[in-house]
Amino acid sequence: MSHSSDSNSGDLVDGQLLDDEITSLQAQISSLQAQRKLQASAILSSQATKATLLRLQKSQQKSSSQSRESSSQSTPSDIPSDTNPLLSASKDQLLHNQQNLYRACGSITAFRIRDPDPNAVDNGNVLGIRIDVSTSGKFITPFYVILNKPFPNSHLLRVHRHTLPPYIPLAELAQRHLPTGKGAVAMSTSKKTDGAKRQDLKRFVRALRKEVVAYHNRVTAIKGLRKEFKLDEKVSAKGKGREKILEDISAADAEAKQISLRWVDGKVGRIVVDDGGPVVGCVIMGPEGRDRETERAVLKGKMEDIGEGLRAGIY
Amino acid sequence: MSLLSIPTTSALPSTQRISSNPAVIKTLGRLSRPSLLSLALDWLDERNQDNTAPYLVEEVEDEDGQDLYPPATSLEALREIYTDLQSTKGSKRDVVDRIVEGDWRDGITLYQLAMADMQYLYDHPSSQKWTALKVVRIEHDTPKSDSKLYSIPRFHPATFLRNLQNEILPDVKAHYNLDRHKSLPLLILRVFIVESPYNTSLALSQKQTFDSSKTFYIAFPDDSPFVYVSLTTSSQPPGQSASRADNKSLRRLTLEGIPKAFSRPRERYKLESTSLSARSLATLIDRRGGGRTNAAGGGWSIYASEQKDASDNPLGLQLPTPDPSSSSDKEEENTEKEQPHGLKRAIEEDPRIVKRRKSLGKVRFGTTAQKHDEKGIEKLAIRILDPFPTHNLDNHECPIAEESDHDPGLLKKRGRKSGTELELENQEEEDDEGPADEFRPQIDFEFQGDHVFAGIRKLVELGVIDGERMPGWMTGEEGVSMGRVRNGRIIGFKGSGL
Repeated sequence: MSHSSDSNSGDLVDGQLLDDEITSLQAQISSLQAQRKLQASAILSSQATKATLLRLQKSQQKSSSQSRESSSQSTPSDIPSDTNPLLSASKDQLLHNQQNLYRACGSITAFRIRDPDPNAVDNGNVLGIRIDVSTSGKFITPFYVILNKPFPNSHLLRVHRHTLPPYIPLAELAQRHLPTGKGAVAMSTSKKTDGAKRQDLKRFVRALRKEVVAYHNRVTAIKGLRKEFKLDEKVSAKGKGREKILEDISAADAEAKQISLRWVDGKVGRIVVDDGGPVVGCVIMGPEGRDRETERAVLKGKMEDIGEGLRAGIY
Repeated sequence: MSLLSIPTTSALPSTQRISSNPAVIKTLGRLSRPSLLSLALDWLDERNQDNTAPYLVEEVEDEDGQDLYPPATSLEALREIYTDLQSTKGSKRDVVDRIVEGDWRDGITLYQLAMADMQYLYDHPSSQKWTALKVVRIEHDTPKSDSKLYSIPRFHPATFLRNLQNEILPDVKAHYNLDRHKSLPLLILRVFIVESPYNTSLALSQKQTFDSSKTFYIAFPDDSPFVYVSLTTSSQPPGQSASRADNKSLRRLTLEGIPKAFSRPRERYKLESTSLSARSLATLIDRRGGGRTNAAGGGWSIYASEQKDASDNPLGLQLPTPDPSSSSDKEEENTEKEQPHGLKRAIEEDPRIVKRRKSLGKVRFGTTAQKHDEKGIEKLAIRILDPFPTHNLDNHECPIAEESDHDPGLLKKRGRKSGTELELENQEEEDDEGPADEFRPQIDFEFQGDHVFAGIRKLVELGVIDGERMPGWMTGEEGVSMGRVRNGRIIGFKGSGL
C-alpha cells in the first residue's frame, strides 16, 4: 500500500464508509433481534405452542418415570426443567403473561426486591408496589412505591423510595394510612386496639391509585376540552371551519384541579374542580363584568361537561 | 424620566435607565460576542421597544466626525448594523463600546441589564450556586378536615411579586425580572437590589456599586413545591465586610419574603432546607423538581426512567431483560474478594470481573451519575456519626478507597468553619448523642468535583471502590449534598423518604 497523502485521504473516506456501514449493520442487528424476541414471545404464548409443549412435557415425564421406576413420585420435579430450554422459556413467558394480566386488569401489583445498599434496614428487604395507569388509551410508565420496615421489633412500613411526582399528595396519604409515629400499629398485629393509628397498606395503595387516576383523568379532560375547541389544531389556510372562540385552555396548577380559560374576545375564566371531577367553582370575567350565564351552565355539570356548558354560554 | 424623586415603596421600573456606570460595562463585558450581538438584536425587537429603545435621531444632521458611532435613524437600520456585525469578525470590546457609547448612549435600562445578566446565566449554567428549599405549609393546631389534601402552593408571578415587594423594606429598592428558562421547566426571577429610598434615577445615579452580590436569583420549577435560590459565590474580597453584611441582610430579607409571598389568608408557608445545593439547575430539577425522579435516586432511578422499548408496559408481550436490581448474584463474589485492594491491580483484567463491575455500577447507580448528563453536584459533605469500629477491624474494615479519595487539604479541622460545616453542626444539635464511652471521632468526608457521583460510579466500575459494600450515601440516592450518616445511612431523610 502506498503511503502518499492521496491514498491516506482515500483511506479516511473508506474508513468513514466502513464506520457508517458498521453502524447501520448494528442497527439492523438490534432491530432483527428485537423482532426475533417479539416473535419468540408471540409463539411461546400462543395456544398451539402451549398444547404442544404440554404434550412434550407429558411424554418426557412418562419416559423418565419409566426409566427410573425406583425413584419416588417426585420425578416431575426431578427432571431439571432447564435441560429443555424451550420448556423453561415457555414457563417464564407464561409467568410474564400472567403478571401482565394482573398489571393490566388489577392495576396494582406488588413485588419483592432487595435494596442494594449494604447498610439497608431489615436486611435490604423491600416491598415494591407498582401502579399501572392508562391514559387516553395507553399505559404510561408505571408509578412505583418502595416500602421498607425501618423500625426494629416492629412491622411498621414506611415509604422508602417512590416515583410519584409532587402533584400526587403521597406524603399525606402515607401519613393518613401508613402512620409511623407514636401509637401507630402495624397491620400484622392481631390484637384490637381502638383509637390507635393502624397502618393499612391496602387503603393506602387504593387511595394513592385513586389520586393518580384522578389526576390523569383531569389532564385528559383538559386535553379533551382543548380538542373540543380546536386549540391544538394548526390554523387551516382555507379559513374554513368555525372561528376560534377560546384562545387558551390550560391547567392552572400542578394538580390540574384548576383550569384557566381565555377567550378570544378578552374574557378570562377560572374553573375549579374537585377530586372526583365535579365543578365546584367557576368565575368568568369579561370586559363588562361577570358572565353569570356561562358560569351557571358550567357549574351545573362535571368536569367532562365543561365544554357543553361553555357552548351553552356562547350560543 | 420623572423629575420628582420622592421616597416610595414601589419597585424600580424596568424602563429606568442607568447612565454610564462601570458595572454596566462589566456586565456586558462578561458576555461573549455572539451573545452580546443577539442580545442587542433582541433589544431592537419591536416588542421590546418600551423597555429597550435605542438612541435614534430623526435625521442625520451633523456629520462632524467626532461621533464614533453616529446614531441611526431607524430600528431597521440599526438591526442591519448588528446583523452585519454578527457575520463579521471583531472584538467584543467594540460591540460593548458601540452599545454603551453609541446606540444606547442615554444608558441602558434596568430591563436590559437584567437581560444581559440572564444571558450570562444561560451561557454559563454553572455560574451560580443554587440551593433547593422546600415550601412547606405551616400546620395549625386545628384539626384539618380529612377529605381535603393539601396541594402544591401555586405560583402566580404577578401576585408573588406584589407580595414580595410588600415584604421588602422601604429604604431598599429592587428591580424584578422574570424569565422563562430556555430548556428547563423553570421560571427564573432576578432580583436586583439597590439601596435607596427612591425609585427614580436618583437611586441609580449615586455612587452605587452594582456588584454581583446585589443580584439574586430565585428559580421556580413548574409543578413542584420547591424553590431554588442562588447563593453568593464566596469570592468577596475580605475588606468589604460591612457592605457584605448589608447585602446579606438584604438577601435574608428577600429570602424571608419568599414564603410570605406564597402565603394567602389561612394558608401560610415557610421555607425548609432540603440539604441540596448544586451549580447545575438540571440537577435540582432532577432531584427537587416536578417529575418522578425526586425520591428515586441512585439505583432506584431505573423505576423512574421512561423505558423506550415499552418493556415496562403491561401490554408488552416480550420478556423483559433481567431486572438489574434483582440480579444481586453472588456467584462471582469469591473471585472478586480475592483481588487485592487498592489501585495496584489493573494488571490482569478479567473481562468477567470488568463486566460484573459495570453491572454493579448499574445496580447501584441506575441511570444516574452518568458523566455527561449534567446532573451532578459539586460537593458532597458527609459527617459520620457512627462509633469507630473498634472490635474486629479486619471484618469490618473501613472502605479505604473512599478515604484515599479525599483530599486531606480540604478537611478543615479547627479554624475557620465552612458554611456546610456550620450547617452540619446546626443539624447535629437537634439530635441525641449515643453512649459517651464509645469512641466517636468526628469524621467528615468531602467529595469535590464536577460531578461527584459520576466520579464515584467510575471508581466503582474501575474496581477502586467495592461497589457491593459501598454505603448508599455514596450513590447519591438520597439526593442531598450534605448530610450526617448514622448506621451507614443518611439520617433525616430530607431528600428521598417521607
